[in-house]
Amino acid sequence: MDRRDFIRNLFLAGLTAKIAPQLFSQVSSTGWPELAVVQGDSPAAITKEALAALGGMKRFVKRGDKVLIKPNIGWDRTPEMAACTNPEVVKALVELALDAGAKEVIVIDHTINQPKRCYVRSGIQEAASQAGAKVLFAEDQRLKNVALKGEWLKEWEVYQDFMEVDKLINVPIAKVHSLSKVTLGMKNWLGAVGGSRNQLHQKIDQAMVDLAAFFRPALTVLDGYRILFRNGPQGGLISDTKLMKTVVAGIDPVAVDAYGATFFDYKPQDLLFLRLAQERGLGKNQLEKVKIEKRKI
Amino acid sequence: MKREKSKKYFWLQHLRIFSQLVFFSLFFILFLKTHYAGEDYLKTTVERYFHFDPLLALTTFIGSRLIFAALLYSGITLLLTLLFGRFVCGWVCPLGALHQFFSFIFKKTRWLRPKRDDQMSLAPKYFILIIILVASILSVNLAGYLDPLSFLYRSFSVYISPVLNQILLQSGNLAYALGLKTLGQNIGQAMGNLALNGVFQNAFLIGLIFLIALALNAWKERFWCRYLCPAGALLGLFSRFNLFKLKIDPDKCIDCHLCSIQCETNAQPYPADKWRSSECIYCDTCAAICPTGAISFPLRWQAEKIKGVDLSRRKVLLSSLTALLIAPIFKITWHRQRSYPALIRPPGALPEEEFLTKCVRCGECLKACPTNGLQPALTEAGPEGIWTPVLVPKIGYCEYYCSLCTQVCPTGAIRELTIEEKTKVKIGTAWVDRSRCLPYALGKSCIVCEEHCPVSPKAIQLIKVETLTPEGKVVSNLAPFVNVETCVGCGICENKCVVVNEPAIRVTSIGEQRSEKNRLILEISGENQP
Repeated sequence: MDRRDFIRNLFLAGLTAKIAPQLFSQVSSTGWPELAVVQGDSPAAITKEALAALGGMKRFVKRGDKVLIKPNIGWDRTPEMAACTNPEVVKALVELALDAGAKEVIVIDHTINQPKRCYVRSGIQEAASQAGAKVLFAEDQRLKNVALKGEWLKEWEVYQDFMEVDKLINVPIAKVHSLSKVTLGMKNWLGAVGGSRNQLHQKIDQAMVDLAAFFRPALTVLDGYRILFRNGPQGGLISDTKLMKTVVAGIDPVAVDAYGATFFDYKPQDLLFLRLAQERGLGKNQLEKVKIEKRKI
Repeated sequence: MKREKSKKYFWLQHLRIFSQLVFFSLFFILFLKTHYAGEDYLKTTVERYFHFDPLLALTTFIGSRLIFAALLYSGITLLLTLLFGRFVCGWVCPLGALHQFFSFIFKKTRWLRPKRDDQMSLAPKYFILIIILVASILSVNLAGYLDPLSFLYRSFSVYISPVLNQILLQSGNLAYALGLKTLGQNIGQAMGNLALNGVFQNAFLIGLIFLIALALNAWKERFWCRYLCPAGALLGLFSRFNLFKLKIDPDKCIDCHLCSIQCETNAQPYPADKWRSSECIYCDTCAAICPTGAISFPLRWQAEKIKGVDLSRRKVLLSSLTALLIAPIFKITWHRQRSYPALIRPPGALPEEEFLTKCVRCGECLKACPTNGLQPALTEAGPEGIWTPVLVPKIGYCEYYCSLCTQVCPTGAIRELTIEEKTKVKIGTAWVDRSRCLPYALGKSCIVCEEHCPVSPKAIQLIKVETLTPEGKVVSNLAPFVNVETCVGCGICENKCVVVNEPAIRVTSIGEQRSEKNRLILEISGENQP
């Protein structure tokens, strides 16, 4: 799908949303869509709408669940730089998870710059704690060697926080990357591990798939509100970013990333990690086989 | 005659202890506050203590021939000393408080009790002062090594901070090991917020010197204050009026000598006319301890001849000459002709010559640095630059949106910068070592330095390189290429390089903006872009 198609689809989706709401009840009667793609001006509203389209947070979070939300808080950058997940998106998810009855919601990431700086400048610490989440710094004491049983990564150090919760929600931001071409949901798991993770770049696509196969999130919500299309993965100028005002949510982590790849005009099958991920059976990278619901608000 | 200790001075003595406690705590709180706590600009002037230090004001003024406005606060200290004597040493100085505390502890023990003989001359600190002052005329700044505030802050930054960090780390580990998850987590999160730096090169040396300074209190009470402190000596020279003058009531005095024996600084309160007012720090020990309450410090306006330490003209001249001999040693080094590659100064640092005359080695910047990258130099800056700050990218890099070190420098050796200004300051240049870099040398893929480069567009660009393997295969990979014009020298590339022991991309000081000598490309313009 090229960009024109995409925009047309968005337009059509918006149109359908306006004139034929009964169409959606039809969709839901035959089961929930696999991907929800929502466009709109408010990051929080499109996030909530995407979850509504998927059937509500209650589908993913049960009463009393301990939930961990993993945004990308890797860099000491403000939201306008699109290097970290939009704080409003994270906040909306925290609220939804707590509304769905979660006992506790943890927000955590292994940052690259000084943790405190990343947490503050990204706006995520403030937004998530306002919504009632426990925002934690990743502590080295909590690292433990874990058998990942991947094709390449047999074992690696993982923060125990990720292992001690009932549900994982992955909230990456869409950015370009010079090695894996794009960094979306699967690459976001590099923030859940410790060790010398820079060595993972020697076979980055394989590492991403191994990690994604290990951390199976209940839900992936890709923040495409403002994407970074140049100078990735940390940008630095507003002109490196582009407003897409879109959120993509789904259970299938491969499908979410495949959709995210189209933001950058990549064909999902052209990306090695998406091919590897499908081969591994983590999900579908052919978007034409994915049931997508698009909305515009 | 009724024997009774003075109640008034008992309370004054305790008030003094309270005052020491307050000033020491304040010093420590400001120390802990010197880090990123969520605000780009520190709201508190955490380096304020230093501004009241006349020794630092004087030496940096003499050395650089410039007055740093904030140091004018030290005039207040001088004025008060002029009127009231060295009460600052006894009531305010945090290092003095620490020494007194340890003297107190040692006095309570059997084996470490300080000796009481008063034969030792109190003059050394004056000679140290003279050497420091004469050296500063020759633009060699030696004040920081023995200035009490610099000494204490540096010891805290380089030694106490890692110790605290270790204590927190180990107690966190212990808590987790015992299954106390909440406690462990609280400790771990507190560590993230406190951001105590945990690693320092030559921390061993600085820590050892600090411990020795404390241990010397077992030899003589307040050893540092009596014999070494150049700031105390300066205040001693400035104590002229001592409006509160020692008085011993001859009717009450029983000539027991207890006051002189217990005097913390050996100011010899007994007999009163031998009292060395310039050594008295108004700790009120003598007045409080006097068994008959004979000692008091009434307000007397008339000036008196100051009885200080005997500094013969010959000795003053001799120590000045010594300084003239010593000071140049610090300068005899090739560091002045040619910049040392590892001498990466913090952003905002003045040109080297000026920087060295102003830096007082206090370690404020070392404490403020969020990545632990700023380290006390040992050899990087030559002998005169020992313990001045230097960025060691292998330990920590210069955080792009941080200007904390420029905000906390008490003497202006590092010029204060806004974040915006700071991101444009070039402190060095990164160089790719193609014989170690994975894509170049091994034909393996790696773009770690490129993805970490914080400037936009990136100063590390990627080029396609082909590597011939022993099997005769040609492997093609993206490899780093540094744009020397846009590289700011922050060192994150070196810090994150996977070739950890000797990174394949290293920053050296060449091209640093503050130096004309250390220039790389003659004309910085778009045309020269590779």
